[in-house]
Amino acid sequence: MTPEGLLLAALPEHLLLLGILVILVTDLLSDRPRDPFMTALVTVLAATGAAAWLYSTGHTGAPFPGHFSVDAEGLAAKALLAGLTLPVLLLTRAERLDSRFAMLLLASLYGAFLMMSADSLLLLFFGLEILSLPLYALVVLGYQRPESAEAAMKYLVIGGVGTAVLLMGLSLTLGATGGLAVGDFRTALAADDILAQGAVVLVVAAFMLKAAIVPFHAWAPDAYEGATVPVTAFMATVVKGAVVLALVRLFGAAPAGPALVGVLVALPLSSMAWGNLVAMRQQGFRRLVAYSSIAHAGYLFFALLGAPEGRFEAMAFYVLVYGLTTTLALACLPTGPDGQRDRLEALKGLYHRSPLAAILIAIAMLSLAGIPPFPGFVAKFLIFSTVMEAGWVMVAVLGLVASYLGIYLYLRVIQYLFMSPAPARSETVPATGIARTAAVLMLAAVLLIGVLPGLVLGWF
Amino acid sequence: MSDAILLNVILFLPVLGGAVLLALPRPRDDLVRGLSMLVMILQLVLALWLYLQFEARVPGLQFETRVPWIAAWGVHYHVGMDGLNLLLVLLTAFLGPLVVASAFSSITRDVKLFHGLLLFLQFTMIGAFLAQDLFLFYVFWEAMLIPMFLMIGMWGGERRIYATLKFFLYTAFGSILMLAAVIYLGYFVLSSTGAPSFAFADLYALDLPVSTQTWLLAAFGLSFAIKVPMMPLHTWLPDAHVEAPTVGSVILAGVLLKMGTYGFVKLGFPLFPEATQLATPLIMTLAVVSILYGAGLALVQDDIKKIIAYSSVSHLGYVMLGLVSYNLLGIQGAIIQMVSHGLVAGGLFLMVGMLYERCHSRDLAAYGGLARLLPVYSVFFMILTLASIGLPTTSGFTGEFLVLLGAFHAAWPQFEQGVTYPLVLASLAVLGIVLGALYMLRLARRLLFGEARAPVAGLRDLDRREWSILALVVVAIFYIGLYPNDFLRKTEQAAIEYQDRVLPAQKRGLGQ
Repeated sequence: MTPEGLLLAALPEHLLLLGILVILVTDLLSDRPRDPFMTALVTVLAATGAAAWLYSTGHTGAPFPGHFSVDAEGLAAKALLAGLTLPVLLLTRAERLDSRFAMLLLASLYGAFLMMSADSLLLLFFGLEILSLPLYALVVLGYQRPESAEAAMKYLVIGGVGTAVLLMGLSLTLGATGGLAVGDFRTALAADDILAQGAVVLVVAAFMLKAAIVPFHAWAPDAYEGATVPVTAFMATVVKGAVVLALVRLFGAAPAGPALVGVLVALPLSSMAWGNLVAMRQQGFRRLVAYSSIAHAGYLFFALLGAPEGRFEAMAFYVLVYGLTTTLALACLPTGPDGQRDRLEALKGLYHRSPLAAILIAIAMLSLAGIPPFPGFVAKFLIFSTVMEAGWVMVAVLGLVASYLGIYLYLRVIQYLFMSPAPARSETVPATGIARTAAVLMLAAVLLIGVLPGLVLGWF
Repeated sequence: MSDAILLNVILFLPVLGGAVLLALPRPRDDLVRGLSMLVMILQLVLALWLYLQFEARVPGLQFETRVPWIAAWGVHYHVGMDGLNLLLVLLTAFLGPLVVASAFSSITRDVKLFHGLLLFLQFTMIGAFLAQDLFLFYVFWEAMLIPMFLMIGMWGGERRIYATLKFFLYTAFGSILMLAAVIYLGYFVLSSTGAPSFAFADLYALDLPVSTQTWLLAAFGLSFAIKVPMMPLHTWLPDAHVEAPTVGSVILAGVLLKMGTYGFVKLGFPLFPEATQLATPLIMTLAVVSILYGAGLALVQDDIKKIIAYSSVSHLGYVMLGLVSYNLLGIQGAIIQMVSHGLVAGGLFLMVGMLYERCHSRDLAAYGGLARLLPVYSVFFMILTLASIGLPTTSGFTGEFLVLLGAFHAAWPQFEQGVTYPLVLASLAVLGIVLGALYMLRLARRLLFGEARAPVAGLRDLDRREWSILALVVVAIFYIGLYPNDFLRKTEQAAIEYQDRVLPAQKRGLGQ
């Protein structure tokens, strides 16, 4: 590989790294706290643009053969994940966060990028850890509540278990196939000896833990609630998206093996049902988002049951739509005294105080519920038709019924927004300024995907 | 401008109007109402024009537009008119200006949002009728729930939140199973023809195994039967009707319920003909049970809105009965009955709304002798009552008479072959007309006659706006009652096509 090739193939990664360094150095050199917002924004914009440009030119290459390679799907995924980070960054504006925050966020995104290009299981593991480690710090950062520390601790411990499970799975893969390349994992997928199947199940379980699939979901509600809003949005969209897209890359063209199929049917299904059921009982908006994200992780993992050709498209489109709508809802939350924005009650009568915010949250909720004409419907349609085309008709029907359970919880939010009288004394103020700009931009994207889904589907 | 373009204008006019409306910063209420009225009237004029341009006895679709929408999935934006949706689009467009006029006085809070939702609802309803692509149809079908959900929940009565959640969750349950069936049909088309498509025409041509048909019919049928609603899936209807604001009730009764029957006649039955033949006894029985059960419940209600709500269950039972008679009389009768019920029940809900605005009570016991207190009101109420009963010269007569004629025509040859149940069911359906007369006359007697009393003293009779609305409804009712020929002529070809799709070849031609 020539130096130019090395530079070009990993250009999005380099740009991220450069941004992190710039923020770090300026922070060290100046004696008063610097606002890293613009630097971070430009960095992520540049990384998104670089990934999209490389994708559009059809760039491929393997700067580190056997470890790191660049292909169309990987570049599309990078552009997608970096693109979803943009609104998250805009949200941080309202929170006035410092350079540590920006660096950790970019580092986490860097980990996601590595995973999208990983050819060896080791690099995949590195990517996943670089993705996760900053998150533990991000959860505890910026919020002055004891719950944040508790949430971060839980997340760290459970996340650590996930790491251990993944390592165990990887060593079993090594034992079963004699190698640590992504191809060896695919060999293990197809093999039917107990060692290989065990390896595969452990690896998938670790990914499920990171994506918060029942029964490995317990960390998510606490972490989502304890973190600041942008971090919640980041965890729910970018991190979850990176984990499932990495899994698609890992699977490649291989179908799910016999032992895995049971896991891939049962756990996502229970995730959808359980996530939606428990979300109904939540009193905090972010806990609701957490349980809803558990259900949506179920839909995402469902796509793995589908035929290999359609998996990436279905999953990437779902990540895009789910990420946009969840961030949209979080961006429109009214802010208030510490902790207050978490209560669902605070949303009561929001339409009469801030019509635009209420309408935007409602659109996000309807999209998450999968009601047309909003894009969540197209995304759901795509996932379930992938599953059905692979022959899992009954499973798809059960999944749809499980998704029906979710409708109630989203309707309940809309009911609070539009149909409940506003509380007599309300200290919350509607989100303003740049968060609102972000929300309107996201709305435009949501409507574009809703009206012309074919156009966006063509990108993946 | 070509008529196909006009059809698209009719469809998109309300949603554009609604978007303009919502984009206006703090418009005056009068401006909102005026703009909505303008959009609705324009839509009605265009719909009438297309109705006049619609050529009878031409097979297939007219004013068709077909452009790719999601090319990779074979989904098209495909709209067009045939004899089935012609009258329903006309009905929807006809009710549009009337509900806007009725909202002048009944909606005083959040006027802008209400009219925005109303226009969006109009868009989705007309879209569902015009769609000729299953994916497109489903999008409209489901999107329709959103404005109605907010309408009932924001402007409804005391138990509005319970009622609107029940409405949404009931309907959405049917929809989710239908979605499974839609996805399966798409998969079946792809695997049998190699090219993805959701076009109705391609789906009609499919050769589905009977067992598959049965499952799919069950999924589609459940969704449509909830919407109709057929007993025992009707329990959402009284709550939704009672709690909805007047405009919501009018649209629910006038158009939304027809979505269910339209779904059956356009999709459910013709897509799965063999399964439909197998299910005919069940559908027929449920239709007749709905007729009698709805009528029986209407007979014992004391809430005026509930009486009309249950009467809808009964009247739509006739539509279903007509559709499964599989002869032209019954099918065309069913189509006329859909329109007729839209006008009559819509008109009655408008009248109840006018009364409620004056007295704030829907309790039948609180009223009496309105004939003396509100003479003009009472005349209109009596006309609508008689139309609901199905007195000759009104639209109700045309619809129900044709349906029953069709049902007997279908039943008699079977009776001669020793199959008695169709004849029994058809005879029982006649009983429904008697019950209909009973409950409507009970309502009229207790409301209009007897000792004069009302919860509020000093009632004013209908003003010019109110009686103009009702006069239009009454004219339409008499038009269909006295001169149904034009409607029958323009729906005939569609009825024949429906019959061809549903009936096995050897049975065709009965009772034509």
